[in-house]
Amino acid sequence: MNFNLEHFKESLIYGLAYLPNTLSLVFVPLVIGLTFGTVIALVRVYKVPVIGWLMAVFVTVYQGIPIVVALMIYNLIFMLKFNDLAAFLHLKKSISDMNNIWVGIFALSMAAVCSISEAVRGALLSIDKGQNEAGYSVGLTTIQTIRRIIIPQMIPVAIPMLINNVVGLIKASSVVMAIGIVEIVAGATIPSSRTYSFFEGYVAAAVIYWGFTVVVESLAQRLKKYTGKFRRNLYD
Amino acid sequence: MGKLFVWDRFFENIPKILPYLSVTFSIVVYATLFGVLLGISIVLVQIKKIPVLVQIVKVYVSFMRGTPMLVQLMLVYYGIPALFDPVFGTNINREWGAVNFAYVTFILNQGAFLSAIFYSAITSISYGQTEAGLSVGLTEFQTFHRIVLPQMVKTAMPPFGSDLVGLFQNSSLVFLIGVTDIMGRAKTIGTATKHVLEAYVFIVLIYIIISLGVRLLFFRLNNKMSFGKEEMG
Repeated sequence: MNFNLEHFKESLIYGLAYLPNTLSLVFVPLVIGLTFGTVIALVRVYKVPVIGWLMAVFVTVYQGIPIVVALMIYNLIFMLKFNDLAAFLHLKKSISDMNNIWVGIFALSMAAVCSISEAVRGALLSIDKGQNEAGYSVGLTTIQTIRRIIIPQMIPVAIPMLINNVVGLIKASSVVMAIGIVEIVAGATIPSSRTYSFFEGYVAAAVIYWGFTVVVESLAQRLKKYTGKFRRNLYD
Repeated sequence: MGKLFVWDRFFENIPKILPYLSVTFSIVVYATLFGVLLGISIVLVQIKKIPVLVQIVKVYVSFMRGTPMLVQLMLVYYGIPALFDPVFGTNINREWGAVNFAYVTFILNQGAFLSAIFYSAITSISYGQTEAGLSVGLTEFQTFHRIVLPQMVKTAMPPFGSDLVGLFQNSSLVFLIGVTDIMGRAKTIGTATKHVLEAYVFIVLIYIIISLGVRLLFFRLNNKMSFGKEEMG
């Protein structure tokens, strides 16, 4: 068995040094996904004419596209068209000044918006229609009903699915190395190209990701208990 | 540079890419077939609570669910030669085509994910069903086969469908270890002709069609099964 512990340690340190990049590749898309995902889910559940239908088609179709392929396309368009866009907007920037981590964040955000909207929609649909009617009957407007009655009940239902989405995002964020963004995987294998110990490098990357997702999942367990405490123990 | 997207090039690419769809499908078929077998064995270990193996399986499933597909692919690609070559004196990197590493990774990965689906489907069926079966004199296997399995399949179907959609999408990662699937082919077209957008767009269309097709199939299957339930009830 060829396993060099020294190289493994070195890779682990390099990988951890690029953890902030992975964090921004996870949390920026997560925030964008939560915002737009919830809006899309509400639009679809409350059947807003035309827009609701358009969103349904968009989400269904976009979910069929692998993130790598979308990423490659965005990166290609970004590389070829950024200079034109900068010239059009009179920005004094060219492609060489730009960090393509934004392409990664954009691609992951699009995927996050779609998957989170599905999770939130599922949670919204699980709430009894009578809750809406009860809200209207005491004179709340639709917005008030959504904000005060539907969303607080939706959150504990949505949390398990949202956690799955977060873990999915953490894992999906690794594909951005395909367009040359340095995050945990690419970082952990930087020393490997010198020492030719790629196996150790990828083991280091795997260990970091594993730790990351285990931490997220244990936090999720606590969150689930906390948000669900007014429900009668539906999930325990 | 010229224009970014030209329809002529798009149509020229279609016959160049389509044959490589078989690579994608073979990965999916192998991963599903052997993944189901592996998943079933993992579930057996978990349900029978075989000592030592249970703990190993738990760590294994947690690892597969906690690390990215890309990292697993690379681990297998570099790990199998690193672990086996010194022991058996083989030269796996030379002897194996890259696609074999993809098969191994996807089977291992699917085994873990499918075991989680099967396990939750089995545990969703109340133990009273098993007890009922045993009490009328069925053997353990008969109880599973005639009572638990038919009910379990219905619960496992929807997550199995979304897992399959995810599997098709994940299979696009194999180009990173040098397997020429449809994505890898698009890249080679890109290096040969300097026009890659048309190829990518065609691939996007293929993936969308596959994903919609699989979803429709499972939607139909689901409807059929819930129909059966109403009849019985």
